[in-house]
Amino acid sequence: MTAPRSDAEAFWEQAEAFWEQMEAELAELSPNVTLEADAFYSQPEWDVYRMRYSGAGGHRLHAWLSVPKGDGPFPALVRMPDYASVHDIIYTSLRHRAVVMNATHRGQRNSDASVRSSYPGLLTEGIESAGSYHVLGAFADALRAIDALRAQEQVAVGAVALTGTGLGGSLALAAAARRSGIVGVAADTPMPLGHPAALQPGLGYPLAELGDYLRMYPGRRVQVEEVLSVLRPLEVARSVTAPVLLSVGRFDRSVCPLAFGEDLASSLPNSDLRVYDGAAEGGGHEHAEVRTAWLGERLGAL
Amino acid sequence: MATKEDLESFVTQVTCPEDFDDFWDGVLGELAGMDLNPAITADPLRSNDDVNVYQATYRSLGGLEIFGWYSVPAEGDGPFPAILHLPGYKSEPALRRDWGRKGVVVLSVAVRGKLPSSSQFNPGYPGLLTSGVESRDTYSYKGVASDCSRAVDFLLSRPEVDPERIYACGVSQGGGLTLVTTGLRPEIKGGVSGYPFLCCFPESMKMLRSYPYDELSCYSREYPDRAGRMLETLRYFDAVNFAPRIKCPMVVGVALEDEVCPPETSYAAYRLLGGEKELWLFPGSGHGNAHDYPAQETAWLEGQIGVGHAQVTA
Repeated sequence: MTAPRSDAEAFWEQAEAFWEQMEAELAELSPNVTLEADAFYSQPEWDVYRMRYSGAGGHRLHAWLSVPKGDGPFPALVRMPDYASVHDIIYTSLRHRAVVMNATHRGQRNSDASVRSSYPGLLTEGIESAGSYHVLGAFADALRAIDALRAQEQVAVGAVALTGTGLGGSLALAAAARRSGIVGVAADTPMPLGHPAALQPGLGYPLAELGDYLRMYPGRRVQVEEVLSVLRPLEVARSVTAPVLLSVGRFDRSVCPLAFGEDLASSLPNSDLRVYDGAAEGGGHEHAEVRTAWLGERLGAL
Repeated sequence: MATKEDLESFVTQVTCPEDFDDFWDGVLGELAGMDLNPAITADPLRSNDDVNVYQATYRSLGGLEIFGWYSVPAEGDGPFPAILHLPGYKSEPALRRDWGRKGVVVLSVAVRGKLPSSSQFNPGYPGLLTSGVESRDTYSYKGVASDCSRAVDFLLSRPEVDPERIYACGVSQGGGLTLVTTGLRPEIKGGVSGYPFLCCFPESMKMLRSYPYDELSCYSREYPDRAGRMLETLRYFDAVNFAPRIKCPMVVGVALEDEVCPPETSYAAYRLLGGEKELWLFPGSGHGNAHDYPAQETAWLEGQIGVGHAQVTA
């Protein structure tokens, strides 16, 4: 006699099916990458391109691509987008020696032809089902960013590292779990989407969006947990083989509560957890310097 | 890292145009002749036991409809003191519910170009800082400053707001706009300007290679024949030229390792403030991430307003 399946087992099977379907869709779809040189934002030391590529669901996505002058191949840093409507051309000293790609997800500026994210609102948009949940589309777009970087033929790219803050930290970890050849991940204050810490009461924005939703629709809690379980961040972490630099703020109550950061660190096979006496800003300026040096070392771009 | 001595020895080359006051009097006069059309729509999803949240709209320069999050204490009828929260360059307007329990109204504005006020004007990020910079009359920040000034009018239009107790705050661009708006609107009785952007444009664009100031450097490199006109326009929007007009209490917060808004330039604005002033220095902190800043901002505003833990007893 077969034992009845638990909710956790059922959620797991649904999550696996969701990602298998997503990967199949991505595999069948050409990234159709275009690079458009942007003379205005290019500098004497690097060229800037507006990169466009196709994501799942027919979304045309945008990234800023910074390429050092000279002959490649260059190591590459993909910066995953944070919880914000805008992802600009970020300055990092690594741009001198590495390709830097600032990716967006669907709904962010320049990737918003068919859907526009709202803030607050992003974390609950379409949360009624996995198929409609906007954030899951953002995770698919993070995978697509790496596919597009590797598919383009204009710039020779070598080793790839990932970074991101908040939602971007979560996207970077998920992408590292599902794409091979990542040499390092620097994830700052990743969001606990799919972990109980995201649904605890009394959090500030952006995680407070989920609390708002459950206060408004208390009868949908199991449904919300089921949809978020597709992201199962601790299980994802266990399959990240790349070294991970993880930073959290000890007093963070709005982006990455400490308990989640510690759970994540213990789930990652190769992690270096830095806990700072900060809140949502994590380690702030101090960690920014640590992160840059760490990524530069992983990429051989110091 | 910048030192206090670096800040004090820095002398900006920015000077105030002779017709600065005339220009801004003209802008405010134009705004005064337009209908404000203030409106609020309840947002029950964002409301809680402490605060009723509304989506606010009002009309600003060029007839644009500007959006804001408007939070009103759930307890009491008012009139309540009010805080005008001004947005950063990239960041989203913050929905500040934390003041509701303290009996304070908060309006958090999405200036033009920023979601969801971007339907009619959308130069992008990057892009906003150089949009129309060829002339003071076409420059995007003429509209942005107008949107902030009209936010004060919105608050004054609300019956639940105490018109004698309006304060302003923000960080980064929000810090710069706190200075600009308070310089334009004496109805603001005090403010906190954190890591202010929009200070000493000519020096800032040379001292750093980070955005948004680097947009101006890109513009100068792409259009060298227009760089002079750009700098002339920026004199009308430089927060250091608004600082002497500010007569109310004002705090400027400066991160000594700020890699986005040079600390020397923030200090230059502080030095020129025309009223009671306070300087907060944050050694070892970069742009926007001094750990103690949020708590200090809250405590200072509580003290000024007379609410919360720092309530002043007569």
